Amino acid sequence: MEQEAAETLIQVASSDGSEPAAVNRARKLLFRRMLVGIRDGRFFLGTFHCIDKQGNIILQDAVEYRSTRRSSPSPMEQRCLGLILIPSSCRTSCHVGCSVEEQLSLLSF
Amino acid sequence: MAGTTSAEEATVNLPLPDRGTPIPSGDHTVWADVSPLLDAACKDLQDGMLIHGDNFNLFAAMSALEIMDPKMDSGMVCKYYSVDEAIEDGAAPVPTSFDKTVDVQRTIDIMDHLLACEATWHKGHSLAQTVFSCIYLLRLDRTSSHALLNSYCRVIRATCKAVISVVSDARTHEEEDLFTMTYGLPLNGDGDEKCLSMLHAVEETISRQLRACKAPSSKTRVLEDLVSLQNNSELEEGYCKALLCRLRFRKHFYHVLTSMKRPQGRGLELARKHIASCISELEYTLSSSEILRSSTFGSHEGNLEDKTTASGCEPIGFDASLNCRLSAPTPPRAIKILSWKKAVEYFIKLLHDLDVICSYPLDPSLESVLHFVVEFQKSQPDLVARAHLQRLLVQDGKLYGRDPIFAVIIRAAALPESTRNHDIQKQESIIQLGQLVINLLKVLCTNGAWQRRKLGKILQDWRVVFVQIEMAFRKEFGENANISNDQNVSVKLFQHILLWVEKQTYWIACRFLILGFELELYSLSEYCMVYWYIYVVLIKLAEKTSLKTVVCNDSGKRKGKKKRDYVKDVARDYRIPPAVLFLQCQICLAEGLTMMLAALKNDRMLVQSRSPFNTEHERFIQQFELLQRACIPDHVSFSLFVESTTQACLSNLVMYDYFKDAHRIAKEIKSSFSNDPEKLAELRRLEQVAEHNSIALNVISRAGAQDPSLKVSFEFNHHPCFATAVVRRS
Repeated sequence: MEQEAAETLIQVASSDGSEPAAVNRARKLLFRRMLVGIRDGRFFLGTFHCIDKQGNIILQDAVEYRSTRRSSPSPMEQRCLGLILIPSSCRTSCHVGCSVEEQLSLLSF
Repeated sequence: MAGTTSAEEATVNLPLPDRGTPIPSGDHTVWADVSPLLDAACKDLQDGMLIHGDNFNLFAAMSALEIMDPKMDSGMVCKYYSVDEAIEDGAAPVPTSFDKTVDVQRTIDIMDHLLACEATWHKGHSLAQTVFSCIYLLRLDRTSSHALLNSYCRVIRATCKAVISVVSDARTHEEEDLFTMTYGLPLNGDGDEKCLSMLHAVEETISRQLRACKAPSSKTRVLEDLVSLQNNSELEEGYCKALLCRLRFRKHFYHVLTSMKRPQGRGLELARKHIASCISELEYTLSSSEILRSSTFGSHEGNLEDKTTASGCEPIGFDASLNCRLSAPTPPRAIKILSWKKAVEYFIKLLHDLDVICSYPLDPSLESVLHFVVEFQKSQPDLVARAHLQRLLVQDGKLYGRDPIFAVIIRAAALPESTRNHDIQKQESIIQLGQLVINLLKVLCTNGAWQRRKLGKILQDWRVVFVQIEMAFRKEFGENANISNDQNVSVKLFQHILLWVEKQTYWIACRFLILGFELELYSLSEYCMVYWYIYVVLIKLAEKTSLKTVVCNDSGKRKGKKKRDYVKDVARDYRIPPAVLFLQCQICLAEGLTMMLAALKNDRMLVQSRSPFNTEHERFIQQFELLQRACIPDHVSFSLFVESTTQACLSNLVMYDYFKDAHRIAKEIKSSFSNDPEKLAELRRLEQVAEHNSIALNVISRAGAQDPSLKVSFEFNHHPCFATAVVRRS
């Protein structure tokens, strides 16, 4: 029941055409490769799946990258984690992959 | 939606040319920082709203691994990013100090902490978070210049490997799934087969150093060209001794494991010698604590009780967070390493348990083996000891690796040895029976909770195999087997085996019910039905046991006697065998307790809170579902239980006191078990329960229901599963 209620709420919210521009733009980032860095120095690379009001991000098929040295540059270790939730409190950086053309078009602004 | 490139994104901040993110973004792509956009979007989102795609499922999303959650994220970086970084930072120096005295102290601390880690591992934590939190072990080659540390770490690694092999062979680890998980740990290194000779060489050196420091003059030292262990001559002897007992313990413990591993129990004798040496070395180790504490510098605040070393100092070279991500897929639980004292106690208990296993005569009689395992479990042995027992009992599908299971069954079913090669053993159902016996032995070696669950489940298998053998029997000989027993060995084989299977099934059912007491699975309101069920199962067990005894005597005596003589003999000789009387005594107790509890309930003397959640019938089903499903015994149901207890009342009970019967039988049969101290002790316990309950019953019935201040409760102070009534005036 609760789940259903929550989902309808979400459906209603997303079908709402008059959503703010930032939300609309953020929605365009869904399904793209996203790289999130967190406080302890690790990075997570996965498919952008979801974000909530509090800024918690869910990535799908995520891979964890960790340096083997505190001083960079250092070799990286990696392992697969699957579906992960990154609380906004520990997030330090967030990037999405985009093509060079996009970047160029970006520079033209 | 995927891959849409739109001008919208162009407003994100300028992409960082991989600065701060050493992960390549791929060909022709760059990383664009979207944090400001996401922040803005979050601000604009309403409460409870999410940005998600069509494939989003809230339920699935809830199973996501939460990063930086100490219970879920095993990769959290605490102090160091890697073992190498820790080493570069000086977390595990070799030698541990350039001051030789400090080096020795620290090495002893490492040894002690490793012992504590090892015990913690045995107690059910992952290897990665315990023994392999030791940086020296993670990079064993680094210690090659430090013979003492190197040899100790090497023997630890070899020991861990040996223990893992026993536990995974026995498959007892299913109950402690973390135990054998070694993924990613450097457990296999070269040269571990030489660990004993290395240990021996180090031991030799230190014992010479010990002799040298004890010698009156320094001549010996010069003669032997010996360098002392460390610089402080006052401490030399103490340190040498402290090291020696630790090294020798490791040596003997490794020997214990390898000797117990020898097939068919051939190394048990030798193992016992090493066990004795292990225990005495551990005792020396314990006594070395004082000198280590007094000689180390620094403060000793806090109790030694929770320190992981004998000296009370924190050991260097350990970091459990370094490889806790290796303990995946389980989340890294915060674990507490046992104290050094507790670890030594653990090992002493383990060694005693192993000694019990090694000292058991390799008796091919299944009944005595089962009895031994049940008795052994009473001391609550830990996983490692139980795994050893299991591996000793079942090797290559044979009892002790020597006796084929069919031969064991033949013996248990009281058939002559000559039948052990009979063709019947090739029958499908008999092969299955053999598997069930092996399985039963293994299950009995597991921990209580796991064991009870499995016993409940295998009851059905035993029932099914019984039916199958019976069908095979009928098929072969028809409904009314008119063949003379003397002539046809097969008929006898079938009959004996069937009888034995039935008896064994009731034995399992009984063990299943009794384990419920040990695991505290019954509540006061259920005692009545549990004792009633024990009573009905015991009656069946006694019936089969006495039938079996009759059949055995039958086949034993027939030889060389005419039929007429034989009939006379039976009439004259027949006495109820002690084993049956023993069961009879328990039956009386179970019946007495059932009736007493029922009477107390019927007369409203026992304060019982009625459960709001389920009825008595439902509880009956919950407790005995597995027995009912396997029809053990036949035609036993809840209504039968109600029928037999509903009339119980105190006045009747006093007239016919079951406890008095139990007491009388217990007294009578004591002489039959004069050479079995365990049975005698059990009889004494039963006697006490009977006596106390008989008195309690009298007191209650005399005071009667009219005395509301009388409070009756039940305790297990005389016997672990037969309760004693305690009457108090409130």
